[in-house]
Amino acid sequence: MPEVFIDGKRYEFEGDHMALQYMLDQGLEVPFFCYHPSMSIPANCRQCMVKAGQYMKNDETGEYELDEEGERKIRWFPKLQTSCALKLSDGMVIQTQETSDEAERAQKDTLEFILANHPLDCPICDQAGECPLQIQTYKYGPEGSRFEVKKVHKPKRVELGPRVTLDAERCINCTRCVRFTEEISESHQLTIVSRGDKNYPITAPSETFDDPYSLNTVDICPVGALTSTDFRFKARVWEMNQTPSIDISNGKGCNVDLWTRDNEVLRITPRQNDHVNDYWMPDESRNAYKLFNENRVSRPFIKLDGDNQSNSSWNNAIETFAEVLEANDSSDILLIGSPHASVEENYTFNKFFNLLGAPNARFATHIIDGYGDDFLITDDQAPNTSGCRLLNLDESSSSELKTAVSQAKVVITLGDDLIDRDVLSVSDLEDPYVVSLATNHNEMTKASDLVIPITCVAEHAASYVNIDGRIQRSFPAKETKYSNRRLNLEMSEGRLDRFGTNFDNWVNEDNKVDCLPVWEFLNKLAERLGLEFEYRHSREIMTEISEKLDTFADVSFERMDEEKGIQLPIKQSKVEQK
Amino acid sequence: MANDWRSFEPLLIPDIPNLQKIDVYEENGGYGALRKILNDTEKWSRENVTNEVKQANIRGRGGAGFNAGLKWSFMPKPDGGPRYLACNGDESEPGTFKDRKIFEYNPHLFIEGALIAAYAMTVDTIYVYIRGEYIDWVHMLQKAVDDAYEKGYLGKDILGKGVDIDMHLTYGAGAYICGEETSMLESLEGKRGYPRVKPPFPAQKGLWGRPTTINNIETLANVPLVINNGAEWYGNIGAEGHPGPVLYGISGHVENPGVYELPSGVPVMDLINEVAGGIRGGKNLKALIPGGSSTPVLRADQLEGVTMNADSLRDAGSMMGTAGMVVMDEDTDMVDVLWRIAHFYHHESCGQCTPCRDGTGWLEKILLKIKNGEGEVKDLDLLLDLTTQMEGRTICALADAAAWPVRHTINRFRDEFEARCKKSVHAVA
Repeated sequence: MPEVFIDGKRYEFEGDHMALQYMLDQGLEVPFFCYHPSMSIPANCRQCMVKAGQYMKNDETGEYELDEEGERKIRWFPKLQTSCALKLSDGMVIQTQETSDEAERAQKDTLEFILANHPLDCPICDQAGECPLQIQTYKYGPEGSRFEVKKVHKPKRVELGPRVTLDAERCINCTRCVRFTEEISESHQLTIVSRGDKNYPITAPSETFDDPYSLNTVDICPVGALTSTDFRFKARVWEMNQTPSIDISNGKGCNVDLWTRDNEVLRITPRQNDHVNDYWMPDESRNAYKLFNENRVSRPFIKLDGDNQSNSSWNNAIETFAEVLEANDSSDILLIGSPHASVEENYTFNKFFNLLGAPNARFATHIIDGYGDDFLITDDQAPNTSGCRLLNLDESSSSELKTAVSQAKVVITLGDDLIDRDVLSVSDLEDPYVVSLATNHNEMTKASDLVIPITCVAEHAASYVNIDGRIQRSFPAKETKYSNRRLNLEMSEGRLDRFGTNFDNWVNEDNKVDCLPVWEFLNKLAERLGLEFEYRHSREIMTEISEKLDTFADVSFERMDEEKGIQLPIKQSKVEQK
Repeated sequence: MANDWRSFEPLLIPDIPNLQKIDVYEENGGYGALRKILNDTEKWSRENVTNEVKQANIRGRGGAGFNAGLKWSFMPKPDGGPRYLACNGDESEPGTFKDRKIFEYNPHLFIEGALIAAYAMTVDTIYVYIRGEYIDWVHMLQKAVDDAYEKGYLGKDILGKGVDIDMHLTYGAGAYICGEETSMLESLEGKRGYPRVKPPFPAQKGLWGRPTTINNIETLANVPLVINNGAEWYGNIGAEGHPGPVLYGISGHVENPGVYELPSGVPVMDLINEVAGGIRGGKNLKALIPGGSSTPVLRADQLEGVTMNADSLRDAGSMMGTAGMVVMDEDTDMVDVLWRIAHFYHHESCGQCTPCRDGTGWLEKILLKIKNGEGEVKDLDLLLDLTTQMEGRTICALADAAAWPVRHTINRFRDEFEARCKKSVHAVA
């Protein structure tokens, strides 16, 4: 098998590899800026320099040639090589900054050049804390600067488009953003203008950077040159918690990170998953964070007289709900599940009311034909349409649902604004008693007699099956009124959790929503109704689902964590409109 | 032969009136080399043509000095897809202004050479990339190309021999980097002129991903001479190891600046004193840049016995480059000269690679400080250090081209630079 020698250690390899990626795969570190594993290799930052050569072999015998001391002879390449563009070959010898003074010096020199015209203002830069340039300067850069002449000042605060703002003076011309628009989103909206140290990325005159994936350029910018107009200077990365989750704004289920501070989600960024979204996500999915913070249903609401809803205690809400269920025959109850809710929510919702004798829940798909593209935006606007189908919920068209509603005396819905998306109308819901388990105030909650606040994807551990049949899960990123980061093993802890106190002015109880996970609310309702229904955790629900439904066999939170989601034995390339 | 330069009769731009006209060119044997090949393709197979050129050792006149025939032989075997010859006429390095003489006085020699090269490499499309500022010469070459099409030397079924070759002219928008071979390919493809990472080399993956050879205009103009007269004849012109006629572009402080065609290997001082009429105003020679601004400057005292060919210039501590000689007299301020050169490379760096992008600007700014009398001696050492940080660390050679003049000019004229620096004041404890 072909072999390479990196910093004196032997590695065997198969197939074609570029040295930098190969070394990264082996857990070795070489600094770089312009290289991105999903895009072409321009080798322009010149940061990943290594010393490289080749062990010399005898052409006739194929044996390595030895020097007088019995060591293999090395033919060093005349110049240092950028490891990103260096293809591995049998017998290659590579010395990184760990073993080569020459490579170490070259990396230091390159950083000195990069910093020559780059503002040295990390304390105020928006990228501080997650800036590869900052990190690599500390690790590999020179001490101090010999640059004692005037820096180049490039344009600042340039609105490239509706979502991206450019601080050109920070640009190190890695061209990742330009290559992204050429090779990934294919909008070709960005290019580099001007030459030498005056150059920077921008759109053509009078054009705007409105690529539906424009914010990915902010994620991959290795400095603070491209910033998210929405998030810019809103928070510091070290103040926030980073929690893995799933995008719930469409059917692709892009893997994302939710960035929270003081129980508010402040931004959403993509999380790498080669099976689903690579390193990317659509801009519109990033806006979903507002739904997690704003206009939340906090504490139950009950319609007491006429159309007026008012806040109610949980006890009162549970009692009211129980009385409604007791007063009506189970055959008069219509359950409407939701492709916007998780597998666990739909399952427990359906199971609970099945126990009362109600038939399986229905659900309406949320699909807009032609809305999607061939990339990460789908026609399906919901994250769990496949999950609803796999749980055997009854897929219903708008007219079927309208008929069912007209025949029901009690309608119970789960986290889905059926009015806003024209599945039902307000008048359809005038006669039955309507209970909504909801995360946000909307037309549906307005039309409801009883509104039960439930946790959103940012607040619970739950799973979703994307349009390709891959089940993936979320972690709680925000505390609710009844959850505590330190008591719930699913939640990560950040600096402020560990070092902040309740007296710190950034800790705000107002941001904790008074809501419950669906299963926890149903636990309480079951206790009131005397039903045998109790879960301690959503993990238990998934365990039960995997035992009961063949499609979910062997599915567990642990496997989903380890394998970045699990491909279920179904594959739907397109979710059809019913 | 180089010693006989005084009796040399120009071959590339001979003194024949109206040679740019195709009829005159034909009357003087023009397109004879092409006819010779196409009339006897058995003798002059594509391989034999390449071998003849290889044997003649035409060293690339664009600056690198690589054997042209050897370069042609790197082209892979034809696979039925397109293959290209890209002719580099984007000369824009300070001191270099020779190709325009070919466009003006003997364009058909270049066209004929390019056609022979295309035939040898089984290329059916030739692109000529000309400096955009050369708009008059663009028109001249276009006229020649049009005439060649009309006469059947270009286009379909050339001379009825079943060979199809087209030639297209493209002119640059004024970027020095587009003269670098891979940036030129990017520019020809309609993209920003950034150098490409090698490998893959253009012969494997050039224009639009297809095999491409890039040759300088003057290099190609030498090809018909080799075919007409043979490799041996060509090899006897000028210096051994670097043969053939050379267009010397002599500029600067000489009485008669201009482009002169002479054999390679002419003594430098002969070129200055006899060919170019000596130093202007009878002054003394101070320095010479032998082959375009990127080639290391030589002091007058380093020029004794030096001839204009690769080996001699290498031994003297410089390079042949494009043979664009910049002559400087005793009044020349080397600080000003170096700052001006650094300004050029700063302005022309494409900005792709970090060491060049930020290094060229830094060099210029320090030199400006020194030029203005605000520099310190330690700045000279910083400049030298920065050149080592730039050299050999970038995709193309522009960083080297920017670094070498700085390093060699400071090293060879250090006293002058130190004298321009302000005196360092040190506190006495």
